[in-house]
Amino acid sequence: MNRTVSITINGTTLQETIPIRMPLVDFIRDVASLTGTHVGCTYEGVCGACTVQLDGEAVKSCLMLAVQADGHQVTTVEGLAKNGEMTPLQQAFNDHHALQCGFCTPGILMTAEEFLRQNPKPSDDEIRHALVGNLCRCTGYAHIVEAVKDAAGRQPG
Amino acid sequence: MYPAPIETYAAPTTLAEALQTLASHGSDARCIAGGQSLMQALKSRLVQTKCLVDLQRIAELKGIAVDDSGVRIGAMTRYRDIAADARLNGAYQALVDAASHVGDRQVRNRGTIGGSLCWNYIAACMPPTTIGVGARLELAKRDGTRRTLSAEDFIRSPLETAREEGEILVSIHLPALRGKAGSAYKKWGLVTDALPVIGVCAFVQLDGSGSCTSARFAVGGLASGPRRSRAAETALEGVKASDTGAIAAAAKAAAAEIETQGDLWADQSYRKQLISTLGTEVIETAFARAG
Repeated sequence: MNRTVSITINGTTLQETIPIRMPLVDFIRDVASLTGTHVGCTYEGVCGACTVQLDGEAVKSCLMLAVQADGHQVTTVEGLAKNGEMTPLQQAFNDHHALQCGFCTPGILMTAEEFLRQNPKPSDDEIRHALVGNLCRCTGYAHIVEAVKDAAGRQPG
Repeated sequence: MYPAPIETYAAPTTLAEALQTLASHGSDARCIAGGQSLMQALKSRLVQTKCLVDLQRIAELKGIAVDDSGVRIGAMTRYRDIAADARLNGAYQALVDAASHVGDRQVRNRGTIGGSLCWNYIAACMPPTTIGVGARLELAKRDGTRRTLSAEDFIRSPLETAREEGEILVSIHLPALRGKAGSAYKKWGLVTDALPVIGVCAFVQLDGSGSCTSARFAVGGLASGPRRSRAAETALEGVKASDTGAIAAAAKAAAAEIETQGDLWADQSYRKQLISTLGTEVIETAFARAG
């Protein structure tokens, strides 16, 4: 029923004994106490608010078990800013008012961060396609697309 | 939405070890591939299992290899890797079409072709696409021996396949082709990249003059499971890319032949219209890619 896992989140390794059935998002929120990763759709896998990066790739943390992340690196929204300084992507979200209630924002940042690493100069259509798995019920997406596009221009290189 | 208790979790690193674990747990064990469907089923408790065998650490089940004998896609190859593989362009580009639009970016980062085939959800892209391109599937039995069968024989009604207890889907094989061939897949759903209400795959092989010598046409999103349309395939023989009337007629023949169901998302006649419209489009695209 239980298993001991070693999961590195934002550079800190946690060794914990957890139920096998525990979704990764619960490990992040309840065990690691990193509550920036949100649950938007009661674990249905459709809203993208729980998106984190597993070994640098965007995944929904309600669509995998924590035991599956054993030995892997997880990055959450708390792992983006370094020394209190926002990343260009976070700053662009702030500048473009790309959030209202902010509930979806951590997931969108984790998806967009991976996307921009793979496609540093995206078109609007490519940005929209990249964000299909992240629902936002406030902004209407226009400002989010602008922010991602602006952040692409701010990336070094 | 929370999984029922799971007693054992195994993450084998070899296929042999995975088969052994499955064998020792019998019907109490279940494999998890990318988990993008199974996790939903576990959380809703549609599926409950005592032992979960995670295939994600088995390197021999991953990756795409191309040689003179054709293409081999490991069952644990993710959608993102299929979507990005230009070697599939042309004859097997339908797989790229399908993989590029499954779910969303996060789902494509974990979801696998083998998982989709073994789950065989009614609204899935990989079952009709592999049937459409004429894929053969290789399974490893409990004793380590292998068997192969066509995707068409493997895929049955929704959520049913020919996989037997203790078997693991190892790889998907696409034959080497002589001459010119092209394929395409397109789906229609209620929102962008949604689960397909109808998905259509077309594959054409052409002779030197550009005439179709053989065609395959498969449809997904059907209550009876994905199926081919022999009427469309026969109608396409001898047809050229410029015969747009004949291409549209072939897609229409498929819509007439295939039995559709009505539900919340689309009624019977609308599904037939989708088969006809999407069918025309994918046949034309398949011809263009073969040329």
